[in-house]
Amino acid sequence: MIADTIKAPSGKAGVKILTAPRPRKKKNPTAAILLIITAVVMLTPFIWTALSVTKPTDVAFANPPVLTGYAPTLEAFQNLWETTYFAQYLVNTVVVAVISTVVALVIGLPAAYALSRFPGYVSAILLLLALVFRSLPRFAVVLPMYEISKSLGIYDTTFALSAALVAINQPFTIWLLRNFFADIPKELDEAAMIDGCTRIGMLWRVMIPLMRPGILTAGIFVFLFAFQEYLTALILTDTSSKTVPVFITTQLGQTLPMLQQAGAAAMLLTLPVIAISFIAQKYLVAGLSDGSVKG
Amino acid sequence: MRGREFSVLMGPSLLVMFGLLVVPLVRTIQWSFENVQYGSPGDFVGLSNYAHALTDPRFGRALMFTLLLTVIVTAAILVLGYLIAIGMNGLGKLRPVILGAMLVAYVLPTIVGAVSFSWLFDQNFGGAVNWVIHAITGQDVLWFTETWANRAMIIAHTVWHMLPFSMLMILAGLQGVPNELREAAKIDGANTPKTHLYIIIPTIRGVLGFVCLITIMDVLRTFDNLIALSPQADAIGNESIMLYVFDSAFRDGAQQLGLGSAINVLSIFLIIICLFPFIRGLLKEAKAKA
Repeated sequence: MIADTIKAPSGKAGVKILTAPRPRKKKNPTAAILLIITAVVMLTPFIWTALSVTKPTDVAFANPPVLTGYAPTLEAFQNLWETTYFAQYLVNTVVVAVISTVVALVIGLPAAYALSRFPGYVSAILLLLALVFRSLPRFAVVLPMYEISKSLGIYDTTFALSAALVAINQPFTIWLLRNFFADIPKELDEAAMIDGCTRIGMLWRVMIPLMRPGILTAGIFVFLFAFQEYLTALILTDTSSKTVPVFITTQLGQTLPMLQQAGAAAMLLTLPVIAISFIAQKYLVAGLSDGSVKG
Repeated sequence: MRGREFSVLMGPSLLVMFGLLVVPLVRTIQWSFENVQYGSPGDFVGLSNYAHALTDPRFGRALMFTLLLTVIVTAAILVLGYLIAIGMNGLGKLRPVILGAMLVAYVLPTIVGAVSFSWLFDQNFGGAVNWVIHAITGQDVLWFTETWANRAMIIAHTVWHMLPFSMLMILAGLQGVPNELREAAKIDGANTPKTHLYIIIPTIRGVLGFVCLITIMDVLRTFDNLIALSPQADAIGNESIMLYVFDSAFRDGAQQLGLGSAINVLSIFLIIICLFPFIRGLLKEAKAKA
């Protein structure tokens, strides 16, 4: 099904394939070369960091940069593992990202469906609120959350951070998923309900399977947002639920070995999401062109 | 759909939004009228926090810097994102690899990218960029302490980080441009620039508007990257609004929580003004359907 969506994103394209052989796109080698150069340039900061982290500390930040004649080492990674609580921070980051993604989807999916099927001012205003909430300056909600979480005794817990991220990222989920639902004809709901499904049963048996690309797209984005989050984690965590991005900044401006540890932490945090960017890109293009960006 | 079903489906989401967004927001608004510290009740001081914010030259600087950053970054992202998406759309088998490589800049946590940029640029970290510039011009650029050099680095990082997302959105939008339309334009004798200007861009203007909106919103609340890229932000005039809020309302004992909250409220107004065209569009759509 996903493969179909990629090949024929709209009904029109499907018809066209039947009526006339699609002329092959003209290959443009200049464009390809330019794009390859752009991609390499965009990878440079990442590659440079990888190099700095695998150099011995005495040449890692030397000016002018030392590019050859050193023995690559993984000492920074070993240091990171042995002298800091990196493993704990990494677990925190992953736990918070996974929990907040799942909860944001579970709550956001029915809401998005309801908004797509209940036309009128109520839905428009709720949708608008979602848009405003998505754009809020973070501090306007996170600073009060800091005080509230302290008074509730849940400050510096992964629970508090996950809850905050669910609230902050959920509007985006609703916004994205509503557009996917809006593309599914209402007659389908009605048919399923005439056949004896309840509204919830229909949502579960008919809509969710149909929405798989949309859910995947929304899930990837919310996971990335939570994984990358710095500001919220900075305010709501202290020592026991600290996440890797916060850890990285506390290492800055310290000694050179600590700086290298920060780089090593950055690499370890980044490798899994890079895998995501390569695996997920085709779903993202298909998912986004199906849903969110029409109109 | 009946009202009761609607409330059941919307319920959990509304509960979360009310408890975790509306309640904190109300607190921020309340704080903005108070002289207050965390954990203790504040004294009502009327509009004096707002008066303080609006007459504070530091806030003026932060506002100007944030707006400047927003305008430059948004323009750069729209133009570059469009060009790259067009190129990408014409690619065959190479597309997944190149797209994946470009998305790396987007999926990296902002703070990680910012640290990488500071290492790549600055001579304190043996930065390659500085080294190349030194080799060519014989000068050292002070990326951390010179206002415009620092701005250039911040702009470069922000564009680098946000470009892949807008490119991805535009690329997705291009999938919805029917080939017939392009071919018809070609048959009618339109050259390439004209095809883009009169056919493709109007067809995907919804996507371009959306990208523009998201970019503006995200740049207006620039915070994370400045922690790594501009350690002396205030001194060199490169402090963003959010960094100013952080400084006054959280760092160093949170002496001015009221002032920070007032600035938060002012930024919300700024954001709603930016959102206005979209708000109008949504209401129109609702009217048409009702």
